[in-house]
Amino acid sequence: MVATTSVNMYPLANYTFGTKEPKMEKDTSVADRLARMKVNYLVLFHHSYHITIGFPNNADVQEHNHPHILLLQIGNTFCKLPGGRLKPGENEIEGLKRKLSSKLGANSPSFQQNWQIGECVAVWWRPNFETAMYPYCPPHITKPKECKKLFLVHLPEREFFAVPKNLKLLAVPLFELYDNVSRYGPVISTIPQQLSRFQFNMVSS
Amino acid sequence: MEDGEHNGNGGGSGRNVVDIYPLSRYYFGSKDAIPEKDDSLADRIQRLKASYAAHGLRTCVEGVLLVELFQHPHVLLLQVKNSFFKLPGGRLRPGESDIEGLKRKLSRKLSLDESCMNDEWQVDECIGIWWRSEFETLPFPYLPPNTRRPKECRKLFLVRLPRNRQFVVPNNLKLLAVPLCQIHDNSKTYGPIISGIPQLLSKFSFNTIHD
Repeated sequence: MVATTSVNMYPLANYTFGTKEPKMEKDTSVADRLARMKVNYLVLFHHSYHITIGFPNNADVQEHNHPHILLLQIGNTFCKLPGGRLKPGENEIEGLKRKLSSKLGANSPSFQQNWQIGECVAVWWRPNFETAMYPYCPPHITKPKECKKLFLVHLPEREFFAVPKNLKLLAVPLFELYDNVSRYGPVISTIPQQLSRFQFNMVSS
Repeated sequence: MEDGEHNGNGGGSGRNVVDIYPLSRYYFGSKDAIPEKDDSLADRIQRLKASYAAHGLRTCVEGVLLVELFQHPHVLLLQVKNSFFKLPGGRLRPGESDIEGLKRKLSRKLSLDESCMNDEWQVDECIGIWWRSEFETLPFPYLPPNTRRPKECRKLFLVRLPRNRQFVVPNNLKLLAVPLCQIHDNSKTYGPIISGIPQLLSKFSFNTIHD
């Protein structure tokens, strides 16, 4: 049992956020996305997503030292984790780094982010083209349509993120996500349980 | 679990494969009842509060034991009085390590020989931790903000079962094998901790050994 269960977290104030050109989301709703998945199914069917952890250094005592997750908000309500679809044959870790740079990385080539991908914390399966996802491959399903893997990403002490102008980047505390399926969906709202075994070291400068 | 295109993990993929065996490999017998300590929920809360006053934070360890049935992983749950479900486990003694304590509790509830000297439990990693700020309140998978002195910490561990084993259970308890698809999202029947187990196990890939 050599699991690394200790994770360093730094104050949100350590990170700077800028903007970059809008990255048009290919789908504006879950229905759109399912329709597109159907067409692409035979070629691309793995997805990878990730979570990052930071914590705020603000005056609100309630949130003091409580881990927050970075989420991207599209429009007014729909939240998702930074990440996306793998290319055929692409390695999961390489693909995730590519997606993180695409969604959160600065555009300049002289500023290459070195993403530190940690362990996989959850895997979700979509057996059919309907919307439900499960944390296991349901019995008798031999060809699931989508597989979503969540990885912990270790953030460095300081970092600059550039967020596409059409998206908002939010830092949401775990207590806000827990049990909040109606707002965040089953995958994001269960992240707190999947992180519960980690020990977060709050490193303040 | 199907092989092929949806295999492969990032980081430590070997560790995340768990061998499980068919339910039919295991023998289930019974032994003398171990009486439950409390008659009512109120009694239980009072006892826990007294224990906290004497020993401080109550740390409980519980085991998630898996078998295969109908090509789907099943968790072994104990049922008390035909209603209440729990995982095999219990409170740590002062100074006892998580692993020692869990092995002791597993033998007490699931083996003929409770001394667990000859029992070989393979306790794997911790898969989840739940915290209670008061004994009457719900558990949370994080230390609730503004909680300076949590009362209880409950740790769940994956336990890897051998290819066969005798389970001998106190006759006031029932041992059930419940499929992940039944406990998933079913907090109403199983409570938030047990119903959250499928999400905690999702990163593992289960390999059924049939031979």
